[in-house]
Amino acid sequence: MDSGTLASGVLFLAVWLVFVGLFARRMIYLGRLVRHGRETARLDDVPVRLGREVTRVLGQSKLFLRPVPGVMHLLIFWGFLVLLPTILMSWLGAVSPRWTIPWLSEQGWFALMADLFALGVLAGVAIAFAIRLGQRPVRFVGSRLQQAYNILLFEAAISITLFVWHGSRVALGLNEYPAAWSPISTALAGLLPAAPATEVIERASVWIHALLILAFLLYIPYTKHLHTLVVAFNVFFERTRGRGRLEPLRFDDPDVPEDQIRFGMGTIQEMTWKQMVDGMTCTECGRCQDACPAFFTGKNLSPKLVIMGLRDQLYREGHKMLAAAAGHGTFEGTPLVPTAVADETVWDCVTCGACVRECPVGIEHIDHIVDLRRNLVMVQSRLPATGAAMLRDLERTSNPWGNSPTARVDWTAGLDIRVLEPGDAPPEVLFWVGCAPAFDERARIGAISTARLLKEAGVDFAILGPRESCTGDPARRMGDEYTFQALAKQNVETLGEAGVTRIVTTCPHCFNTLGNEYPDFGGRYEVVHHTQLLAELVREGRLSPAAGSESITYHDSCYLARHNDVRSEPRELVAAVGRPIEMARREERTFCCGAGGGHMWLEERAGQINEERARQATATGAQTLAVACPFCTVMLDDGMRSTGGGLAVKDVATLLVEAVERGREHPADSLARVP
Amino acid sequence: MKVLVCIKSVPAVAGRITLTADARAVDTRHLGFTIGPHEECAVEQAVRLVEEHGGEAVVLTLGPAPALEQLRDAMALGIARAIHLVTDGEDWDSQSTVEAIVEAVRADEAASGRFDLVLLGNEAADSGGYQTAVRLGRSLGRPTVTGIKGLTLVDGVVRCEQEVPGGRDVYALPLPAVVAVLEGLNVPRFPSVPGRLRAKSKPVAVSTPTRPAQRLELLRLAVPEGRSKQAVVLGRGPDAAPAVVAVLNDLGVL
Amino acid sequence: MAAVLVYVTSADGVVDEVALQALALAGQLAGEGAVHALVIGDEAAAASLGPWGAAQVHLARHEALGSTAPDAAARILDDLAGRLGVGAVIGPGTDLGNTVIARAAARAGLPFAANCTSATPGHPMTVTRLRWGGSLLEEAAIHADRAMLTVAPHSVAARQTGGAAPVEAFTPELDAADLVVRAVERIPAARGGVSLADARVVVSGGRGVGSQAGFAPIEELAGLLGAAVGCSRAVTISGWRPHTDQVGQTGTKIAPELYIACGISGATQHLAGCKGAKKILAINKDPEAPIMSAADFVVIGDLHEVVPAISAEIRRVRGA
Repeated sequence: MDSGTLASGVLFLAVWLVFVGLFARRMIYLGRLVRHGRETARLDDVPVRLGREVTRVLGQSKLFLRPVPGVMHLLIFWGFLVLLPTILMSWLGAVSPRWTIPWLSEQGWFALMADLFALGVLAGVAIAFAIRLGQRPVRFVGSRLQQAYNILLFEAAISITLFVWHGSRVALGLNEYPAAWSPISTALAGLLPAAPATEVIERASVWIHALLILAFLLYIPYTKHLHTLVVAFNVFFERTRGRGRLEPLRFDDPDVPEDQIRFGMGTIQEMTWKQMVDGMTCTECGRCQDACPAFFTGKNLSPKLVIMGLRDQLYREGHKMLAAAAGHGTFEGTPLVPTAVADETVWDCVTCGACVRECPVGIEHIDHIVDLRRNLVMVQSRLPATGAAMLRDLERTSNPWGNSPTARVDWTAGLDIRVLEPGDAPPEVLFWVGCAPAFDERARIGAISTARLLKEAGVDFAILGPRESCTGDPARRMGDEYTFQALAKQNVETLGEAGVTRIVTTCPHCFNTLGNEYPDFGGRYEVVHHTQLLAELVREGRLSPAAGSESITYHDSCYLARHNDVRSEPRELVAAVGRPIEMARREERTFCCGAGGGHMWLEERAGQINEERARQATATGAQTLAVACPFCTVMLDDGMRSTGGGLAVKDVATLLVEAVERGREHPADSLARVP
Repeated sequence: MKVLVCIKSVPAVAGRITLTADARAVDTRHLGFTIGPHEECAVEQAVRLVEEHGGEAVVLTLGPAPALEQLRDAMALGIARAIHLVTDGEDWDSQSTVEAIVEAVRADEAASGRFDLVLLGNEAADSGGYQTAVRLGRSLGRPTVTGIKGLTLVDGVVRCEQEVPGGRDVYALPLPAVVAVLEGLNVPRFPSVPGRLRAKSKPVAVSTPTRPAQRLELLRLAVPEGRSKQAVVLGRGPDAAPAVVAVLNDLGVL
Repeated sequence: MAAVLVYVTSADGVVDEVALQALALAGQLAGEGAVHALVIGDEAAAASLGPWGAAQVHLARHEALGSTAPDAAARILDDLAGRLGVGAVIGPGTDLGNTVIARAAARAGLPFAANCTSATPGHPMTVTRLRWGGSLLEEAAIHADRAMLTVAPHSVAARQTGGAAPVEAFTPELDAADLVVRAVERIPAARGGVSLADARVVVSGGRGVGSQAGFAPIEELAGLLGAAVGCSRAVTISGWRPHTDQVGQTGTKIAPELYIACGISGATQHLAGCKGAKKILAINKDPEAPIMSAADFVVIGDLHEVVPAISAEIRRVRGA
């Protein structure tokens, strides 16, 4: 090795060690933070998780929910993946023009790919700038735009210097393959002056390129570009099934000392490792913010800003926390609410999950918000007064309205429904009524319709009556995990004693909690939503609806369509009873009615989510708005009235009853129509 | 400062009350339990007094075994320990109740000092006897005041405010004293879950007093008949306004 | 039945309505026996009792009785009851009446039945009394030679029997111990407006109002009718209105001519506070709400639409 190469080598190695050393130090710090995070269980369903690495990470599937940004990101992502070997090549090349990766550097096809994908990166960067500076999407409000520009500029510069370097190598004849394999670099070579200038350009460009890469490498863990390194990890550990299932807290673990019990997130000390990684993975893209119904109706809540706020506080205080854990000093975390997230913001969330659904990098915003609520409610008793009143009523009377449990059977007057008494044999299916249908005059219509249909079809069912307690969903979504678990254990005991194995319910929240969350407390049942059971009965011919001419638009409930993937059966029924018209935001992209997250009992501030959804329904021009949830029924009926929408709001079951009546009057028309 | 607060576990009746077959008790099969709103304020006041003046607060109840839950709820708010006088669930009249409480109070005071203040709700949510505080004060020989909505402690004297037509009367009682309070005295706090968990291991002194012959003896209960007249539906929605105003006119309140 | 002694409360010469009701109950109980009344300090009130069923009025006068002193009152009552050898002592089921009778019963070691709606003489005497603020009735036996009871407000009608009753003034014996519990100061009420307890009409809002601001139409209607504004416990717990506005078993118990309940479901403890109303108008979206069956008049609808409509109609009618 000649002295020039040696000098280059030593210099480059020194620089490389500095940058990589600083990079490693930062990464080790981040790694220590994550290791310090509280635990959360995420190792089920490995095949599905691996599959997601392919579709979501490599395939960028979620990014294509927005096509143009999807293309932009695909170009840059795949560009950098393909160009990874050129990084090593440039580092070697900085030491000496003759140093490179053996074999690969001789492959023409690789040179071609490098040229094309580097151009792709430039194209992607151009599209990105066009979006940010031209279109200026609202979802970027609150994001740190300068960081984004810096990253894009880095990427562009890295691409450009790569072209200049390759071009100068072509001009100097340093490549071991025909120039035709790298058309762009070759074309560029034609523009370069003759040697010795080109030699200087070659050295300069490779060094600048290599330094840019090192600088960018160091920039990554200090900015949102960190997502590139953690997204595969975060996507791997995202929930696979039971998306509506929140993770239980344990209050009674004998091995956990009292001051170590986790009551949700109060300071960064209580963040789980997944929550920390969520923050590190956030790209501030704002797709969640765009999908959020609270943000849309003018409230403070932006899921993006919540994640960013929590992340920033973690970074601000992380060093002190780790130092204290290692024995140097003490650490009192600053309360996350209101420092990172305002009280109002925490309570604005309706837990609809639109944010989680849109997020391309596997962030689970609901976990963050509910964990913040858990600390506010269970430790600090800091929550809106109406919510607190509801929780107390729930505790005392087992329903959120403080009504008498014996009144749970009032809605059955005249219907002759069997009430399951202690000691009775269990029915084929237990009809879990839920609190809203039992106590609300509008919500009960769907339950009455369902009961009539089940009787008509000859289904053997019964209700628990006064022995039914609230599933606890409103308590859990509001953060009162303690009351939720008390109700869950009570219900599991009742259902266990009664020998219930199959449950049908009209309420998606009950459906979600009984099916996805009760197994954590020993309650395992086959739980179906009433639309699923009714669709089955129609298919089997046990119910014969005759379709009418009514135009019907169907509203997907969040806890059915998004959290639990029940989308097709209600549509089967709607198609069997009338003329369906779809809203733009439907199925997995449905827009919440506004009742979730305990909001049925919290005062609504600013704009109204239910009114917005009512407007969306009215805009379809349909005559009827079909729903499959007692809360959606009440919220959207209110929304229709206050916006003057004029659509009749009816549960799918009620529409089915009408269709079955029609079928009786005109037997010839009653063919079970299954699309 | 040593404060005693006496509570009574009552069923959380919501809209309607149903009775057992023998009509001697409320049917509690599907009901949860709680303490009355006056007593919630008494418990809160006890906790605040100890927070402000130091010392210890004790909660006591005379009731069946499940009433322990209400004692734990009170301890979850910050009360240090409990005394449970366990009964079999039968109704105890006020004189019997007070006799048992006095015995427990004397035993506790002999062991750890005098209670500066005994707090109770003005009347129990269910029996509404309006006399337990007064009897207790008499038996203990301590001044007693009822119907209190404002309470401050200054230099060994408890200053109590009672609402009367035209304003508030103020009573200044030397300690030790007995005070019966009304809802509105303060805004009770909610228990935190860490508080509830800690309460599970706080000490409860249990004894089983014998129920004496009742002097005010409950014979049977009855649900009063609803107003026998059917309500007149004046209309639906804003269209009912003229009918309403006509009724207002007839009643002479327009 | 032996004689009955009634503790009559009054203010500035006006006898409390419930005390007159107590006299009526005493009359029913006493049968052949005489009905005595005790009045403390208020000479004008004592003089007005004749027509209301008292055979003999005893007026206690003592310099220390300028302000309320319930132990002193109880002692006077107990001493007098003993002197007269009465078989029963009845007081009004008001805050003052209940505490004084309770104290007198405690002094004498006798049972005390509060808030009775009726009483039947016998050995033992049986009474019907209120539980759960009136949502439940209790039939109880009083095992004592002298029955101590208070009458539930507005459950027995006061009766004018005509006649006069001689007033015998006396100076009772009192010790310092009887005067320890005594009102030492009066803080006058700061609030203007119509007092909830005295208003002829009360317009009340419940959970259905939805927010603090939501009370605006209710306040407007109350203003038009010269009514007081009340609320249910759900409202005070939510912090929308102060506890002084709360109507219910543990709030203020009212007995207006008309009670207008808007968006109130009618929980037991609330009905306990308003069942004394002569007429109840309920405005609620839910036709099955408990209050609907306790009401005289009902409007099924959203209070946010109905209440402003009523206000508008009132203005229209008055303007015409």
